[in-house]
Amino acid sequence: MSEQFTTTASTSTSAAPIVSARGLRKSFGRKEILHGLDFDIPPGRIYGLIGHNGAGKTTTLNAMLGLTNCEGTIRVLGEDPFARRAQLMENVAFISDVASLPRFLRVRELFALLTNIHPNFSQEKARSFLEGTDIKPEMKVKHLSKGMVAQLHLAVVMAIDAKLLVLDEPTLGLDITYRKRFYRRLLEDYMTEERTLLITTHQVDEIEFMLSDIMFIRDGSLILHMQMETVNDKFTQLVVNDAQAQEAARAYGPVYEETRFGQTVMIFDGVDRSLLEPFGRLSTPTLSDLFVALMQRPTANPETAR
Amino acid sequence: MKAFIALVHREYIEHKGAFLLGPLILLTLLFGIIILAFTVGRVDARLSGAVLTVVPLIVYEIGFLGLGFAWLLYLGATLFFYCADGFAADRRNNAMLFWKSMPVSDFTVLMSKLTAAITVLPGIVFAIALLSGVLLYGVAFTTMLINGTATFGALGAIFGIYLQVALALLVALAAALLWYLPYMALVGAMATAVGRWAIPIALLLPALAATVEWVTLGGQHPFATHTWRFLEYRSTPPATTYSDIWFSGVDGPSGANLGAPRFDGLAFASDLLGHVDWLQVGLGAVFAVAVIYLASEYRRRSNDN
Repeated sequence: MSEQFTTTASTSTSAAPIVSARGLRKSFGRKEILHGLDFDIPPGRIYGLIGHNGAGKTTTLNAMLGLTNCEGTIRVLGEDPFARRAQLMENVAFISDVASLPRFLRVRELFALLTNIHPNFSQEKARSFLEGTDIKPEMKVKHLSKGMVAQLHLAVVMAIDAKLLVLDEPTLGLDITYRKRFYRRLLEDYMTEERTLLITTHQVDEIEFMLSDIMFIRDGSLILHMQMETVNDKFTQLVVNDAQAQEAARAYGPVYEETRFGQTVMIFDGVDRSLLEPFGRLSTPTLSDLFVALMQRPTANPETAR
Repeated sequence: MKAFIALVHREYIEHKGAFLLGPLILLTLLFGIIILAFTVGRVDARLSGAVLTVVPLIVYEIGFLGLGFAWLLYLGATLFFYCADGFAADRRNNAMLFWKSMPVSDFTVLMSKLTAAITVLPGIVFAIALLSGVLLYGVAFTTMLINGTATFGALGAIFGIYLQVALALLVALAAALLWYLPYMALVGAMATAVGRWAIPIALLLPALAATVEWVTLGGQHPFATHTWRFLEYRSTPPATTYSDIWFSGVDGPSGANLGAPRFDGLAFASDLLGHVDWLQVGLGAVFAVAVIYLASEYRRRSNDN
């Protein structure tokens, strides 16, 4: 099934891509994690990189951030990230999926250090992002709650004038209030046309509204890479009850089918909506529905052992 | 350079417990005990004053030298644990990815740790050693004043002694740091790779290296090899004959020698620096940079390891 969704051209923009990967491969021991990824990420977009645990999301991000060495070619802002990570980090900011802020520092010490270490960090901006929160300059990071650490980390990366911001599971473990606030802040206070944002998360429905493009990764291969507008045009969800209509609809080759509360739900790829309309109720599948549809595996175990 | 200094500063913030707060607590305890001892009459001020009367200034020299030596021992142990732990702290604290998101190379980060180990961190302990000298002199001088055996006229000579001993301690500290730099770098590099396991490995490594030579090249036993002899030489602090001669002059056959010359910090420093094997110091510095570079390459690939 995956073959029919293999990487699709995402954009017609002529601007030089922020990230460009060709034949990106990565192995841990004998196990190949990434199987030759090819993609470009143009500037000014908000990308969602979505996949199961162990699908290769973090490895792909690590390759972009120069944290791991891969076969093939990857360029971020025209640089080889593994060879020139330190230089690249002047224009790239990232939050990893762990609470990685140094716990021994006070907030003011963290800001003072960053002012001297990072040429594009603005202490004033960081302080302004924390206004209205419970985080005070004298507090130690280790005394902050999980949500406060996430707020602080977001304030830090938003205060860095970067061209690319990478967020790997930035809201993991946070409650819904923090998660909503986190993404709203990101959109309202940070995103501009010059900046590119790449997010991975399992809570796909929460970020769907802000994404301009999506990439689905499964078992180390990109199975979908397209703009959200194209997703809306290309995929159709049909809810059908009648058995005859179901049979007729199946003739158009749904990529996914399941029964929910006695109703049959089918997802179609590239089928004209006018052809499906007579069979039932049509809608655009949510990102999570599409994710489930395209990520179906032949095995019962969704985890890929490393 | 600004970023490098900031990284050294963060080492200070992260480890000020061992290098500032711990010594300050020790110093406070020590000072408190001394004051208490005088207050409750455990120390006879008259007798102490009498001792100070008999050997008025040698006590200041020996007392401060002894105290300074004790602080150097404390520093040596603390630096060993700093190197064995601090170089792996980013991984242990789960902060590795944060520091890797900064525009500084792994080599710069590790060099900042090594630089902190030979500048700001020992500098703090040295400052506390100086402070402890001031407190020691304060207690001794007060005792003399109480006993009526000292006048404020002696302060000039005491201050001179303080400066001489402080100079000697500073030069001894600098020489020791330079001499043991490759050891610090090696322990730090190992800690980068294996974390706290660097502590036992650092102790086992010399024996292992000597054993490898013994097994491959022969010899009576591992401790009669070139490797072991070199390590013994490289582990022995730079020798100085000045202090030995001075101490033997002070400690006469029938007690303290009142006619012994004052401790000369400059003469001690010249003698010590003259006995340092500078070729070994230079080779040690090159070795230190090389192992830190190798460790940084490991750290750069740590996601793959």
